[in-house]
Amino acid sequence: MSSFLLRRFGQAVLLLFIVSMIGFAILHLAPGGPMSQFAAGGEMSQEDLDRIAQQLGLNRPLPVQYGEWLWRMLSGDWGRSYRDGQTVTAIIGSHIGATLQLMATSTVLAMTFGAWIGILGAIRRYSLFDSLATVGAMIALSIPTFWFGLVLIYVFSVWLGWLPSGNRYTIGDGSLMNQIHHMIGPVMVLALVSTAVWSRYMRSSMLEVVNQDYVRTARAKGLSERSILIRHALRNALLPMITITGLHVPTLLSGALVTETVFTWPGMGRLFLDSISYRDYPVVMGILMFSAVLVLLGSLTADLLYGVADPRIARSG
Amino acid sequence: MSASHVSVETLSLPPPGLWHRPGFKRFRRHKLAVFGACGIVLLTLACVLGPMLLPYTDTFIDIRQRFAPPFSGPHILGTDPLGRDILARLLMAGRISLAVGFCAMIIAMAIGVCIGLIAGFYEGIVGTALMRFVDAMLCFPSIFLLLAISALIQPSVPSIVMLIAMTSWMEVARVVEAQIRSLKSRDFVQAAVSFGASHRRIMFRELLPNAVAPIVVAATLNVAHAILAESYISFLGYGIQPPTPSWGNMLESAQSYLTSAPWLAILPGAAITLAVTSFNFVGDGLRDALDPRMDLG
Amino acid sequence: MLALGLLAGGGALIGGQKRAAAQMKPATAPAKPRGQVVAGISQEPTVFNPLMPGSEVDQGVWWQLFSPLWHIDPQGRFVPDLAREVPSVANGGLSADGLTWKIRLRSDAKWHDGTPFTAEDVKYTLELINTPGFRVRNRIGHNLVRDIAIVAPDEIHWRMEGAYSPYLSILALTFMVPRHILAKADDPNTAPFNNRPIGTGPFRWGERVAGDNLLLQASESYHGAGPHLERVVFKYIPDLTALYTQFRTGQVDYLGIGGIPAHFAKEAESLKGRRISRSPTPFVEHIALNLEFGPFANKVVREALYLAMDKQARIDAIYYGLPVATESFLPRESWAFEPDLPVHRHDPARANALLDAAGWTRGANGIREKSGVRLSFANSTTTGNPGREQSQQLLQQDWRAIGAEMKISNMPAAVIWGDFWQKSKFESVTVGSNFMIGNDPDVTPRFSGKAIPAKQGAGLNTYQYQNAEMDKLLALGASQFDQRERKATYSQIQRMIREDLVLLPVYQSVMAEGLKEGLNGFAPNINCSSNCWNMRDWFWAS
Repeated sequence: MSSFLLRRFGQAVLLLFIVSMIGFAILHLAPGGPMSQFAAGGEMSQEDLDRIAQQLGLNRPLPVQYGEWLWRMLSGDWGRSYRDGQTVTAIIGSHIGATLQLMATSTVLAMTFGAWIGILGAIRRYSLFDSLATVGAMIALSIPTFWFGLVLIYVFSVWLGWLPSGNRYTIGDGSLMNQIHHMIGPVMVLALVSTAVWSRYMRSSMLEVVNQDYVRTARAKGLSERSILIRHALRNALLPMITITGLHVPTLLSGALVTETVFTWPGMGRLFLDSISYRDYPVVMGILMFSAVLVLLGSLTADLLYGVADPRIARSG
Repeated sequence: MSASHVSVETLSLPPPGLWHRPGFKRFRRHKLAVFGACGIVLLTLACVLGPMLLPYTDTFIDIRQRFAPPFSGPHILGTDPLGRDILARLLMAGRISLAVGFCAMIIAMAIGVCIGLIAGFYEGIVGTALMRFVDAMLCFPSIFLLLAISALIQPSVPSIVMLIAMTSWMEVARVVEAQIRSLKSRDFVQAAVSFGASHRRIMFRELLPNAVAPIVVAATLNVAHAILAESYISFLGYGIQPPTPSWGNMLESAQSYLTSAPWLAILPGAAITLAVTSFNFVGDGLRDALDPRMDLG
Repeated sequence: MLALGLLAGGGALIGGQKRAAAQMKPATAPAKPRGQVVAGISQEPTVFNPLMPGSEVDQGVWWQLFSPLWHIDPQGRFVPDLAREVPSVANGGLSADGLTWKIRLRSDAKWHDGTPFTAEDVKYTLELINTPGFRVRNRIGHNLVRDIAIVAPDEIHWRMEGAYSPYLSILALTFMVPRHILAKADDPNTAPFNNRPIGTGPFRWGERVAGDNLLLQASESYHGAGPHLERVVFKYIPDLTALYTQFRTGQVDYLGIGGIPAHFAKEAESLKGRRISRSPTPFVEHIALNLEFGPFANKVVREALYLAMDKQARIDAIYYGLPVATESFLPRESWAFEPDLPVHRHDPARANALLDAAGWTRGANGIREKSGVRLSFANSTTTGNPGREQSQQLLQQDWRAIGAEMKISNMPAAVIWGDFWQKSKFESVTVGSNFMIGNDPDVTPRFSGKAIPAKQGAGLNTYQYQNAEMDKLLALGASQFDQRERKATYSQIQRMIREDLVLLPVYQSVMAEGLKEGLNGFAPNINCSSNCWNMRDWFWAS
């Protein structure tokens, strides 16, 4: 077990290293750069701009910039934002809460609903409910998330006036109810895709389990259908499901970015967009690395849980 | 996979006609897949032929007619903030969006298949290095990567196609690599090796044809993914630039007219959903048809 | 930068201060600070060192935290702030040749931490600006200051290397920073001060939630009148539509910088319990032409393009009549504005005739050409600005009618404002710019032949405009101290720019700003880079 862990950890570190090179190369090789935000202000001359570029170390060769960045990163210094001079870790720290809040809530919701839909679909295979759920899941996976958000805002905020059209809470009213009220819209949007994914996996996982010998044996023993489902089938079907959550992290992060944009939610996704439009390299790099770490943690957890769930799984690659 | 039992002799024969393959029958039985296929054909026909039948072009500006709601006058689906016909724009945008989806898929497939083939065939250092690169690329949530690059390049249709292809070939590479690795030990490949066939021949003549099924499935789903990706970056303002219409950039400014002209947001979104759903249905049907053991639907 | 786009594209409106002022009920400020104002803004304030490069949003915050020596009121008059009086030749603050400056300071001003403000702070501020390693916004004017001498804790003198009249305006936007805090920092670029500033302004630093809001508290020790509010919250809402929605629903008390999107302005004006100020901005939306690019080198072409542009259509259709058509690069509120410039008219027939006469004949696809040069060019602006994009498409149609082909090639802000703009690699760009320095009409960096970055010049003359006569006028204007004389000079400059059509002026941006009924004291001020300049005077009617 521990050697497996160690190997996976080593692989993760190697991956992060490659990730950092790719990210750095993409950001720095592209035209445009952080200087243009100063230039656009129209107040600064070329001299001023060159001076700032030099101070920020932007005119040095790329490998040197990368080396220095990597060295600092390893020693825990993720750099400072070009915009407000705060450390990147502090900035990410102050935005991650809002994003995790969305991700966690929608995951819990999606798990509950997805599992329910999937189980029901598996039990009543080929019923009307099952067909509708299948088609519904496919459509949910095909809808552009942001558009679903717009439609929700139109229906529930503009038309019915039930939900706020954005923000995390009303200023001056940070009460729990107020926060929950603001969360309904974005959580619905973010949970849509996850629910679809969950229901489909749950259904097939459940179908597999239902046909296993021990379930047949339990049935033969005359146990009630209900207790078979809960005692045997569900437990065995749920375990592999948990790994799905781990592998689902990148999709969730992408979804969060879009959802945050539509609902003006002050999380990482919006921070990323803002930082990109300002060419705030340290922050953009920081977020890319941070999300890569999250993704790797997710898949590592998935691997581990998968091993726990089914000790027969061969641990390769 | 069904291909695993095919021997090297049958492979050199021309494949049986598509219509007579058992897979195709299964596909036809899959109602949703047929629905999806019809959706794709209809959308494509409408986008290719439709604009020629309409009295308006997608760029004709008529300020006096702006914000006409659908079904209220000569413009069937209404007009946009510049008074351009929305139906004409939807169809022209469809051409672009579908073309972007299709071209991006072709390029992504080319990259993914090549890398998967090489990595799966050679394994060892080359294979490991390539697959670690694939893993690293997959560590970026796709939208983050798309946006990071798109904010830095000058947007045009070809550059957006390249961008989407560059960020969506990895899954294919993984699928192909796994497939090739499992095929490599089969008798017919070993036979080809013992006959002294060149590596290239083995890869492209023996291995690749046997990996077609998952590639076709991945390709179909990839088109859906590419259309969605285009709409995401265009919605966020970094995608295809006006005046070239795309379903995504028609939605870009729609949010601010949500109260006064909701059809501006609803119509292009519905078009995207229809197209993507169709491709997903077809991909799903293909998966069932080509690989009967996987039953997710 | 981004603000340029937002201002012009998001929708700018006109009307003027009069209207806003007329709607204000006479009310008296409370004796003690009371209540809070939530100011909704579409960009996040992130730079809190007032000497560093910052956006208009940042400047709106600086006005609350810091004070300049003097500021300029909405009528364009200088009003002393940390100085006891504005130096002039008449009061002896300025020598007749404009080279010696003597400033007398208030002695009752205090920093938020209680330390008294003195001449040392002024000296430190000016020296910091000129410190080579410091990331300063710009040094125009400041780099002429020599021999700073502290005569008394409340009096400071210096000498100027050359007479430079715009320096008065520049100082009106130069906020003083505390020596006793910054001088101690190892590196003023990364000093903790930059994220927890201490100033002499009416409000002191409260708390910042990055990505969401910034809270400022009333300063008890403010040297001027006010503040009358207990708290000011700058709430960042990046989407203009969401921002407007929150103003409508009452979550936001003041909707400033960024403004109400033009297509909502009418609706906003009918809202109960809200009032809308159509506040002019100093931004002039124009088509910037690269004069070294093929067809644009020819003045007839520029003239024809200008004639063929249907200005009013775009103002009415895209911006709902809010901006004001203009011929000058200066806002009409500027004291130097020249109102009698030749007025543009939309006349495609005349444009066609001009081009025909100049030998531009229609070739393939109806596009004109002359001696192998096609009348075809690209127009660029920042991506993601629907107003501008629509405007470009109208323009495309206008110009197609006279056989000129305009291709649209938009780019992300980070690409367009880099070398593409700075080094004049563009063909034409749709852009909104503030041409003034402070409220001074000196446009040397914009139009001087020595200010072309593409030709190693220091400045912003990306049009690559070169005119010896213009250079002479610019030098004259910057060395004159009498406002009447200067007005005459800048009149001539405006005429010359209009005559040469260095740029095709479209309109002066006007912002629809929204306020809750009962919020008093708001006074749009084009001279202060932010209409939050006087939040110290704002108060809620009881």
